Amino acid sequence: MKYADMAVPSRAQHLWRYTPWARIHPTSVDQVPEAHPVQWKILEGGAFHSGAPRVLTDDDDIGRVFLSELGGSAQTFETSGEHAVVNIQATASGHVAVGHLHLVMKHNVTVLIHLAGEADWAGLHITGEVAANVQCAVGLVNELSSNSKLLHCENWSIGRDASLELASLSIGGFRCKSDVRTVFTAPGSNLIQAISVHGHQQRHIDHHIQIHHLVPHTDSSLHIHAACDDQSHSISTGLLTIAEKANHCDAGQLFKNLLLSEKARAEAIPELEVLADEVSAAHGAASAPVDRDQLHYLMSRGLASDEAIALLIEGFMQDGFSNLKQEALIHEMRTRLTVHLECELKR
Amino acid sequence: MAEEILRIEDLHVSVEGTPILNGMDLVIQRGEVHVIMGRNGAGKSTLASVIMGHPAYEITQGAIYYKGQALEELSVFQRARAGIFLSFQYPAVIPGVQVGTFLKKSVQSVRDEPLKGRAFRKELNEAMDALEMQKGVLSRYVNDGFSGGEKKRLEILQMLLLRPQLALLDETDSGLDIDALRIVAKGINQVAPSAGCLIITHYQRLLDHVSPDFVHVMIDGRIVKSGGPELALKLEDQGYDWLETSPEGNA
Repeated sequence: MKYADMAVPSRAQHLWRYTPWARIHPTSVDQVPEAHPVQWKILEGGAFHSGAPRVLTDDDDIGRVFLSELGGSAQTFETSGEHAVVNIQATASGHVAVGHLHLVMKHNVTVLIHLAGEADWAGLHITGEVAANVQCAVGLVNELSSNSKLLHCENWSIGRDASLELASLSIGGFRCKSDVRTVFTAPGSNLIQAISVHGHQQRHIDHHIQIHHLVPHTDSSLHIHAACDDQSHSISTGLLTIAEKANHCDAGQLFKNLLLSEKARAEAIPELEVLADEVSAAHGAASAPVDRDQLHYLMSRGLASDEAIALLIEGFMQDGFSNLKQEALIHEMRTRLTVHLECELKR
Repeated sequence: MAEEILRIEDLHVSVEGTPILNGMDLVIQRGEVHVIMGRNGAGKSTLASVIMGHPAYEITQGAIYYKGQALEELSVFQRARAGIFLSFQYPAVIPGVQVGTFLKKSVQSVRDEPLKGRAFRKELNEAMDALEMQKGVLSRYVNDGFSGGEKKRLEILQMLLLRPQLALLDETDSGLDIDALRIVAKGINQVAPSAGCLIITHYQRLLDHVSPDFVHVMIDGRIVKSGGPELALKLEDQGYDWLETSPEGNA
């Protein structure tokens, strides 16, 4: 389907309720502007393949179709088995910048992607396949300029007896829409997904996470932690489906919001569609201000109120990554978060 | 000459309009160990919380002086930096904050001087060894998933590192096995000579390891009897009824 033939999605749709298409489009919704390519660079751990395929999945989704038609750059990275950690830098500059990255995960590896740059609008589409028996991790750190808009889509498929850890740290951009979808295509596989969001100033951050258990004996765990300050607004919506014959799946979603100001807002809407009988599926959501007992405890140890709150924010966001297992991924996420908060909270 | 660390005068405290402390008087000198015993609800933990500055408690009458300064002038963190330490009965769980990070920030705040990494690690290792704590604790989140004994040991570890001048220990011995009790007492004894100590407890058994100078009994928000270590033994033997029915208890 072509973008021009697609209707602007209604806000009645779960996906577009809080961030309508018009608010995330770079110009006016009837246009497909010219796009600069996102510059991709591997800082550590191998090289891109030339002649990268353009992978379009979910071709009825307006975001993905739009990103596809915008063009921009496209790269494929296939693991070689020589590197345990791969560091990829994606730089978005110009008025509109778009990049596609396809990851072929055939070996145990941790891929770390850093998105930065001053683009007014950035589009990022990451697709990936995890081969059978592979244990891998992918981390995305959004460090875009505070003036940037971001449309970010991901599509993952996980093969038999494979394991994927997906982590995302959202600290850049003023309006960000992320739509990450994972499909289990073979039994015995496992997904751990962790997202930490820092809402500050007038950031608007919308995460929509879909996890589809199409086959039996697959497990997934999703944690989203959003700390919202100032006039920021975080939205976390999840769609977890377990197909009719996908028995013996274990799936859980936990969304937590920490509200740090009276004007900060946060929505947490996990959603389950379970059609199989013998499964374990759970979801939970909580929004709360800073815990007074925690604050008192830290202050009783000599931390001034602002120092104690800063530590609680950091702890809350770090805890968003507590379900991850891969050391390199955890270390990177924690380090980037600490550096960000040290700069941001001392302003 | 003895140095006065804490003076409490005619202290009345309420929580949401309900009186908890009803005319409390107490003086603690440096180097003294005071023990407060009493039934549940007598106001023992309230006393510790008020001294530490918990915002839920309102002083309606009387005053607390720390080293001659009225405590109400100091916020919670200023009290900590001035040398007051409370070992909590129920320490807060703080997910995402690693013990090592927390200890460093806390010690840095209280000592008000940059920590020298190697020297601090040495001091930390020595304190942990003394309390027979595993180093793995440092990478765990503060009190998250800790057993009761682990929480209490972490409280004592903080006390050793923060070097308080007034140590308040709120039922630090509760729920500890015999070995853990001995270790916790070791920590208290290490701090006690250079500080004033106020130990809140239900049990005489801690006093097998820590020698108190004074034992006080609280009933209905005030001290009704004070004595030496023999008072704790008598309470262990006879309970509190005799204080409520005697003129001393004023009940």
